[in-house]
Amino acid sequence: MITCQLLDGKFQERCFADFREISETVERNRRKLHDLPLEVIIALLAKLGRSVIQDPAINSLDGVSYISLWLRKGNLEKICRLNYQGPTYCEDFTKTEHSFELCALPRGIVCHWIANNVPTLAFFSVVQAVLSRNGSLVKAPEANISTIARILRHLAETGVEVAGKSYSGKDIVNSIALVSFDGKDNNLSTRFSMAADCKIVWGGSDAVRAVTALPQKDHCETIPFGPKYSFGVFDREFIESDRFEGALAAAVKDIAIFNQAACSSPQVYFFEASKYGIDEIAKKLRYFFEKLPEKLKRQPVSQGMASRIINARGHYLLDESKNIVKSDDLSWTILIDEDVKLEEPVHGKTIYIKEVGNIDRVVELVTRKVQAMSVCILDECKKRAFASKVAYKGVDRIVPPGRMHDFDLPWDGILTLSRLVRWVLLKN
Amino acid sequence: MSHLSLNTLLATEQYSLADAEKKASLLPVIREQLARARENNRHIRSFFDKQGVDVGRIPTLEEVPPMPVQMFKYFDLATCPQEQIVRVLKSSGTTNNLASKVPLSKITTANQIKAVNATLSGYLGKKRRVFLVIDHPGINDHRLELTARTAGVRGLSLYARKMHFLLKENNGKLELNLPEIEAVARDCAGADVYVFGFTYIIWSVFYQQIRDMKPGFKFNDVRLFHSGGWKKLEAQQVSRAHFSEEIAKVFGGSKSKVHDFYGMAEQTGIIFVDCEQGNKHVPNFSHVIIRDWQTLKPCGVDEPGLINVMSILSDSYYCQSILTEDIGYLVGLDDCPCGRKGRYFRFKSRMEKVEVRGCGDTFRA
Repeated sequence: MITCQLLDGKFQERCFADFREISETVERNRRKLHDLPLEVIIALLAKLGRSVIQDPAINSLDGVSYISLWLRKGNLEKICRLNYQGPTYCEDFTKTEHSFELCALPRGIVCHWIANNVPTLAFFSVVQAVLSRNGSLVKAPEANISTIARILRHLAETGVEVAGKSYSGKDIVNSIALVSFDGKDNNLSTRFSMAADCKIVWGGSDAVRAVTALPQKDHCETIPFGPKYSFGVFDREFIESDRFEGALAAAVKDIAIFNQAACSSPQVYFFEASKYGIDEIAKKLRYFFEKLPEKLKRQPVSQGMASRIINARGHYLLDESKNIVKSDDLSWTILIDEDVKLEEPVHGKTIYIKEVGNIDRVVELVTRKVQAMSVCILDECKKRAFASKVAYKGVDRIVPPGRMHDFDLPWDGILTLSRLVRWVLLKN
Repeated sequence: MSHLSLNTLLATEQYSLADAEKKASLLPVIREQLARARENNRHIRSFFDKQGVDVGRIPTLEEVPPMPVQMFKYFDLATCPQEQIVRVLKSSGTTNNLASKVPLSKITTANQIKAVNATLSGYLGKKRRVFLVIDHPGINDHRLELTARTAGVRGLSLYARKMHFLLKENNGKLELNLPEIEAVARDCAGADVYVFGFTYIIWSVFYQQIRDMKPGFKFNDVRLFHSGGWKKLEAQQVSRAHFSEEIAKVFGGSKSKVHDFYGMAEQTGIIFVDCEQGNKHVPNFSHVIIRDWQTLKPCGVDEPGLINVMSILSDSYYCQSILTEDIGYLVGLDDCPCGRKGRYFRFKSRMEKVEVRGCGDTFRA
């Protein structure tokens, strides 16, 4: 059984046995989206950004204020310019340096499998399909479907005037269907996969492997955003500089956002040996954890997360070679040890901190599974050299503290919009 | 308020102490036991020191640091000198392949036996009884690690005069042990018996196979104890009342004498038996705190939280405060209609550990 929360612009719950009617409706409606100038799509999305932040029902949710920032016109324009290698390829055939013209056309219907660790993930996934003018079938987690529906309702009510002509967000929303079904139902999962001209998969290893293994159309493009890991590093000069405390405050915010469950959430920080001992750094971190706004400090903890935090704390309390600084409740935990390794995530603002003799020891830990690295190296040349080393080993994003969750495109090393279009050439 | 010693608490009629009275008795005993634990175990010393706990000055039972039950798998939590440990009980868990290791001294073992006797005597009287186990004999092999199933059998067998296993294993499948069942029906007619089994096995194996037979049990008095989760039975829409009624019929007993109980290998000797009202009562030598899994603070009545089981039975391992991975809720204090004093609670479920963690789930390749 498929439950559809949005179809043909109507926000009402309907049940379907298969995806035929749903995909036919989206296929029909995506034509209007295709015909909208990119300038109009961006104007509608930018106006949406200004309106969601006014909605008290959702503006306090994790990530919604960031949506508002991300949807600024200038940001969307820059994203499109970078992903489409120029401003006009997605509007019409455009001359290249070669003997042909080039045009970026939507692939058709994008089926999105959305993970549930980040409430706003479905929205970001859908916007990428919209900016590439694809129709979308979105399998969103039940816990987050109301958030994305609420944002899309705003979009449906959004209107703009560009070059003297009125446009409505309805033309975008009509090309989107929100569905939910049991992911373990192989039959429905296969049908969903077969409906796709492109699949975007967000999730853990099992989910990504299962979805990528499903039968699909021969031409279907698959964009997997699989399990990733993030961490940070500080060099001695940075630690001893006057920028250190500000960076620690920003690092704590990176930990706290999404209660540390995102792939861009740092799980470990390495500190090069400095005039501050690791216990002193832990004290500073404690101060910033305690200073967090209440909403970030006390986020809901699931039973599974509570179990992991309680057990991690137990290990560090009992093991004499380790140390721990923690809140009385399960709000935040700092686990201190000397093992130079990347630890399995605990989440729930449980951060491992480790002292290293030289930050270059961290380079060998990097694998292709590392997404974001928060790098604090004072000397710019040293920083660039370090970035080259870790990038070669596998890191996708090298960012300063406080910017780990910035939804930049490329993401996970992928220029998504570029993959969401067919590059069609015209040779004369 | 006077403080009672462990021996007095064991000898006193169970469930006769009011909650406040019992708490006042347990605290000084626990402080003393923890001082010894701190002296004898560097891990426990680290555990207290990192939390700034001065064991001699712990003000309330709520502030005794609870040990996460999983830590028995990773650390030696002995609280006495090694030479006093006579046996290490190993209990296999369901979460991973590691076994909990529970070091037992002679004193601990003796206290556990006294505790089970003291608890069960409230249900079974003073005389030892014939013990019928709804499982196969291999379950009681002492060379094997303890599981939730075997822990129940071994814990309750401390009260047994004689044991009979009503099931047998045949090519890895459980089935009725018919010759044994016939022998019990013949030889134990008119006797007082007690029965134990794992809830799901009682229903899905024993009951399904025996319900159409007439085993001809004619006991004088029969009490049935069962433990283990209800999830599978709930999925089959079997209510507790229906379960009790049907199982009581098989043994020719009363459904009011069918008791669910809760216990764990790490707290052997302490069993929380359902009273006639369906509530679990806490014996004199034990205490239960339900803790909010977010704040770790004690929950109020009806608020679900982690079950924290406290005990003074062991001088050989950290039993004084163990934080389980089970969810329960407090029903009340000192006022259960069954007449038992002290706090009473209900078990709700195991902690939900399975969760989809999305794209930030693991570093493992």
